[in-house]
Amino acid sequence: MNEIIIAILRSGTPLIYVTLAGVIAQRAGVWNLGLEGLMIIGACATIVGIMLTNSILAAILIAIVICVLASILLWFVIDRLKANPIIAGLGLTGLGIGGTALAVQSIFGSQASVTAPFGIPKLGPAFGAYGVLSISVAAMPFVVFGMWVLLRRTRFGLRLAACGEHPFAARSVGANPSRMRLVALSIGGVLCAIGGAELAAGSLQFFAQGMTAGRGFMAFAAVIFGASHPVGATFAALFFAVVGALGIRAQLMFGDKIPHDLLQALPYLATVFGVWLSGKLRGGTKAASSFAELKDQ
Amino acid sequence: MSNPPKPALECRDVTVKFGDVTALSDVAVSFAPGQIHAVVGQNGAGKTTFARVAAGLVQPTAGAVDVMGEEIRTGHVSQSRAAGVELVHQSFALPPSFTVAETMEFGATGKGGIYSRKSLAEKWQSHLAGLDVQVDLNRRIRDLPIETQQGIEIARALVMDARVLILDEPTAVLSPSSIDMLFARVRRLKERGVTVILILHKIREVLGIADTVTVLRGGRKVEGPLPIAEVSAERLANLIVGDAIAKTLDRHERDALVGTKSPVGEGAGHLENAKGPSVLSMKAVSTRPDSEGTALDSVDLDIRPGEIVGIAGVEGNGQKTLVRAISALADLASGSIRLAGNDVTGEPLAARRAIGLRIIPFERNVEGLSLTSSLWQNWSARELLQGRLLRLIRPSAVREACDRSLKDWSVHYHNSAQKAGSLSGGNAQKVILAREVDREARLIIAAQPTRGLDIGATAFVWQALRQARDRGAAILLISSDLDELFDISDRVVVMLSGQVNGEFRAPFDIASVGAAMTDAAARTSA
Repeated sequence: MNEIIIAILRSGTPLIYVTLAGVIAQRAGVWNLGLEGLMIIGACATIVGIMLTNSILAAILIAIVICVLASILLWFVIDRLKANPIIAGLGLTGLGIGGTALAVQSIFGSQASVTAPFGIPKLGPAFGAYGVLSISVAAMPFVVFGMWVLLRRTRFGLRLAACGEHPFAARSVGANPSRMRLVALSIGGVLCAIGGAELAAGSLQFFAQGMTAGRGFMAFAAVIFGASHPVGATFAALFFAVVGALGIRAQLMFGDKIPHDLLQALPYLATVFGVWLSGKLRGGTKAASSFAELKDQ
Repeated sequence: MSNPPKPALECRDVTVKFGDVTALSDVAVSFAPGQIHAVVGQNGAGKTTFARVAAGLVQPTAGAVDVMGEEIRTGHVSQSRAAGVELVHQSFALPPSFTVAETMEFGATGKGGIYSRKSLAEKWQSHLAGLDVQVDLNRRIRDLPIETQQGIEIARALVMDARVLILDEPTAVLSPSSIDMLFARVRRLKERGVTVILILHKIREVLGIADTVTVLRGGRKVEGPLPIAEVSAERLANLIVGDAIAKTLDRHERDALVGTKSPVGEGAGHLENAKGPSVLSMKAVSTRPDSEGTALDSVDLDIRPGEIVGIAGVEGNGQKTLVRAISALADLASGSIRLAGNDVTGEPLAARRAIGLRIIPFERNVEGLSLTSSLWQNWSARELLQGRLLRLIRPSAVREACDRSLKDWSVHYHNSAQKAGSLSGGNAQKVILAREVDREARLIIAAQPTRGLDIGATAFVWQALRQARDRGAAILLISSDLDELFDISDRVVVMLSGQVNGEFRAPFDIASVGAAMTDAAARTSA
């Protein structure tokens, strides 16, 4: 049993961090389809950072800085250059996947993957069987709680939600929707960096090209499934992780009877199912898809 | 006056330009503290722009704004709010998913911190009670009736220590009895020392509440603030419309446009023209609930040829669903719809249009026109969508026909290739009229056809509807302006909560129509 829970937490934690990044962007009115790109940038920067600085703390800080800069770039393209947010997000994803591959090749020569000598510190033997988990897994519930407080229990959270739902109302009380989006995307950048770091250096210690394998999009699906609520979306992400872990279990047990590829596809099928279900339950999503503010008169 | 008190709000030569359009030019006006001031003018006179400049939502191109004698930085809402200026918007600016308590909190400044749902409700309970807004603080905005939303918007504007409260056309969406309640609330605010600026366009309302009145026309201040005792309804009407246009309108039209009419509307009274079998016949129509509006509940409605039937009601009581049901855009749960004798209950919109259904939709710029398409494309859409899919189209012929038609409707435009988005509201509406009001039209739905139009364009639209009626078309007019309904309708049907809540014939009594708009108990049938 412990093994399954550990497997779920290992695969679920990176997803949850990135999901939270999607939640805060969504509440501010940005459909952030750049999550996949930000996550892989975070993963790559962490591993490269470890190799260059020999310090996990410095490596994660580097990842955070790069992801925040990439998020600011996304904000600039969407908010200042008025680009379509969906296309801009997908562009960032493409940039992340291609850019990290290029970076790895140009720094380490033609390698498909880079292995670091160490990763994020583990909890240690004091936690028994769970000691193999990294400290960022342990920090995850606190981050979820913190995001819930920030988004659902403070005036900042209300103003952020107003910017997403009714920008004109937000402007009428003196909030600046453009600046709010910048703040939301920047916080999202930090979370994506941590999610990427956990993916590459949590239980593993290496970066491989394309290693996020659609997890950013799965996180986005969790945002929709969880109705942009920090706790709801966290459970949605956890649900995807559970399906994934069961898929691996099923491979071990029925690998000879059921095609292996089908079992590997389970988390993605669950994502499709989850999005369909949330549409059924809530009558479709009505989150703002553009920044069209109400025009004067 | 040797030592006059400092004005609560003063605009010094404020000019606002949006691109090439001048919304306000050199407006200089100052409002004395502790009074109720009315600002009036027709659509497009610059009233809303004036309000938004004061509230900091619009940065003026030139000029300055003083509050209590102190100049404020313009174009910053937070600066205006810090000085005590608050604005209540015409279509309220409240996020629909927020609870009442959240709505109060998100606009507040000062100490915030972490709240719980309970502490937030307790924090704002007394504030709302003090303003006589009776509402459960944990209900969501989208579930509240429009009168309550307005109360909440006013309460939202007063969460800080507001000294100048501006209400932008607060009466436009209210029933007559709710208007009385609003005015009582405004008078109480005056007693508390708040300077209230009401943006209105009905003279009747101005004379009923204001201490002074200021008239805007075409972005300029015409007169004011004049003490209310010094102006008559007659003079105010001329100031609003302008002498030149006042001469071209008949008395009826002017009265309806500026709302100087007595509480009893004479109505068009053309019922003797309405004969023959019904063009529209709805029997016990109910629609399935959806997220787009109040569902219809067993609606019966008949319109005969040569008749204008007005739909009155507070916005959001099923008027939009009624239009969607007739135009096959809402799912019917039960009931039947007949158009010119044909049962069209299960027919799509195209089939209904082929029979002669025409629609002047609610949202001119969203549903009525494609702003990024050319005039001839917009104009020909009706016909082109009607025919076979693989019919060849000769654009030059279509453009010629379009030119002829637009000239007939006296649309002001350069050439038919220009984008529909480049036209003014009045001209854009004329393009829609040119498309929808043709000889084959049997039933014309006119949904808020004059909203946002100036007086000349409004009179034009009314004229077009009357002519269509006289040709024998049936017209369904939906308007939130009772004066408009009373002036051109032959019959008025009131909707409440998706039901028909009364039917009235001229002469219309504003009090009984108003009662039917808000009170289910007042159900009547004439």
